[in-house]
Amino acid sequence: MSDARQQRMLLTGNHAVAWAARLARPKVVPGYPITPQTPILEKLTEFHASGELDAELITPESEHSVMAACIPASLTGVRVFTATASQGLLLMHELLHYASGARAPIVMANVNRTPASPWGFWPDQTDSVAQRDTGWIQFYSESAQESLDTVIQAFRVAEAVLVPTMVNHDAFYVSHAVEPVEVPHQDVVDGFLPAYSPPHRIDPQNPESWGNVVTQEMYNRHRRDLGEALARVPEVALQADREWGALTGRSWGIVERYRCEGAATVIVTMGSMCGTVRDAVDALRQSGHAAGLLKIRLFRPLPVEALRAALVGVPDVVVLDRNYSPGHGGVLHQELRAALYGIDKAPRIHGLLAGVGGMNVSAERIADLVRETVVGAPRAESVWVK
Amino acid sequence: MLQIIIQGRGGQGAQTAGNLLASTFFAQGRQVQSFASYGGARRGTAVSSYIRADDRPIRARCDIERADAILCFDSSLLDARLLGAAHPDTLIVVNSSREPGHFARAMPGYRVVPVDGIALARHYGLGRIVNSVLLGAFARALDAPPLDVLKRTVGEQAPALKRENVAACEGGYRSVEALLQRGAA
Repeated sequence: MSDARQQRMLLTGNHAVAWAARLARPKVVPGYPITPQTPILEKLTEFHASGELDAELITPESEHSVMAACIPASLTGVRVFTATASQGLLLMHELLHYASGARAPIVMANVNRTPASPWGFWPDQTDSVAQRDTGWIQFYSESAQESLDTVIQAFRVAEAVLVPTMVNHDAFYVSHAVEPVEVPHQDVVDGFLPAYSPPHRIDPQNPESWGNVVTQEMYNRHRRDLGEALARVPEVALQADREWGALTGRSWGIVERYRCEGAATVIVTMGSMCGTVRDAVDALRQSGHAAGLLKIRLFRPLPVEALRAALVGVPDVVVLDRNYSPGHGGVLHQELRAALYGIDKAPRIHGLLAGVGGMNVSAERIADLVRETVVGAPRAESVWVK
Repeated sequence: MLQIIIQGRGGQGAQTAGNLLASTFFAQGRQVQSFASYGGARRGTAVSSYIRADDRPIRARCDIERADAILCFDSSLLDARLLGAAHPDTLIVVNSSREPGHFARAMPGYRVVPVDGIALARHYGLGRIVNSVLLGAFARALDAPPLDVLKRTVGEQAPALKRENVAACEGGYRSVEALLQRGAA
């Protein structure tokens, strides 16, 4: 319920993201509109016009230029936010590597949408899972509330380890779904997010430079530093999430186990489909099938220890991938197999390509798919299902 | 859980109607979820708006495949695909000037309540903007949400012609009430 520290509003997932960005008090917000991200930018523009967002809004000519603006802005030592989707994220690709290498803790919301060609606007996570090697932290959110909380937490995590962070939510099912959201008061967020003050910054009064040509040894060391920073993320993210929970009553974990106690089958997925899986798990339990959900909220760095702890000894794991890597399969399916490889009492892992291209996946269908899948032996490749 | 589909054409206000309905249930203290699925979002192409209302938090994030009620902005959209989400108990309110008897004959096995949205919208000075009329009609046919809460939401959120929209909403409500009293639907 609403209390003195937060106010309940009816918001879309995108407007919840805009609220979170406003509450984080970014100083620079470069942006380029793209369906289905546009409402984030529109709402931030409204906040700016009404004086409620004291930031420099920049609207360059492309998403590539947006990220090119984000990086130096962040390196001056101010908080930077942006948002994009699909083609826009893909256009940024080159500079995503640059941003993590420059250790610029930008926070970016991405609305998961099918990449072209063919053209479409449907929920599909191929756009962001294809950025998994760019050195960005990646979260996936299930609801408008979680998106709001995650964007605020993302600033804490990004700035603690100096690594840019992407918060993803699915087109339409989250981005355009109107639902009740608790919006925390400004002082709650101010207490959670201290003013950003990095150890180094671009400052004409105290000149430093970024992006010099380096030797092999320096480059090698730089990559290892980035890896060490990412390795700290699970603990930093959990700590931020615990503190947020103490302030607001809401915490989300880096993975979440839903009804996994004594589960014969655990369904693993991320994003909006987690909500539908909860209904499927309840229906499966009702019919005598001990099923559970393992929701992956933090996808980069992949929380290998948490995944192993959650899945060791589980007989069957069914991965639902709403993405497709042609020639490879479902990205989560392959990542999970790699994460669990070689452990004792490893589960049988079945990979299903469910909902690719935004195909509708109902709770009833998920329950049926689980029943049909676990009777067979797991296959090396991901299996297309409808 | 109450599951509703609003089917319209791009530009008719189906998405707005869905959000107004969700706002009204929310104003009653209920949990709601409303989203539209429109792909290319071109004026004139089909737009589906999905609304869920419940007393518990809503978790499902998928299209509605079995609707309790359907509000159809245009009878040309009352096709096999839309009716695939209907079962014999599904309430269907359709924007049409035809009599209930027509639908009883043309669509046996379905419960169809027609409302002449265009005529009523014009009567209330709204031209071809039918969503306030249709929401009022739908609320009466479904017996939810309450008219006073719906009128307050329409009055707060109508971008222009607030008084006319509120009156049109009530007009739609009363027209279905009259139909039900005649025992015609």
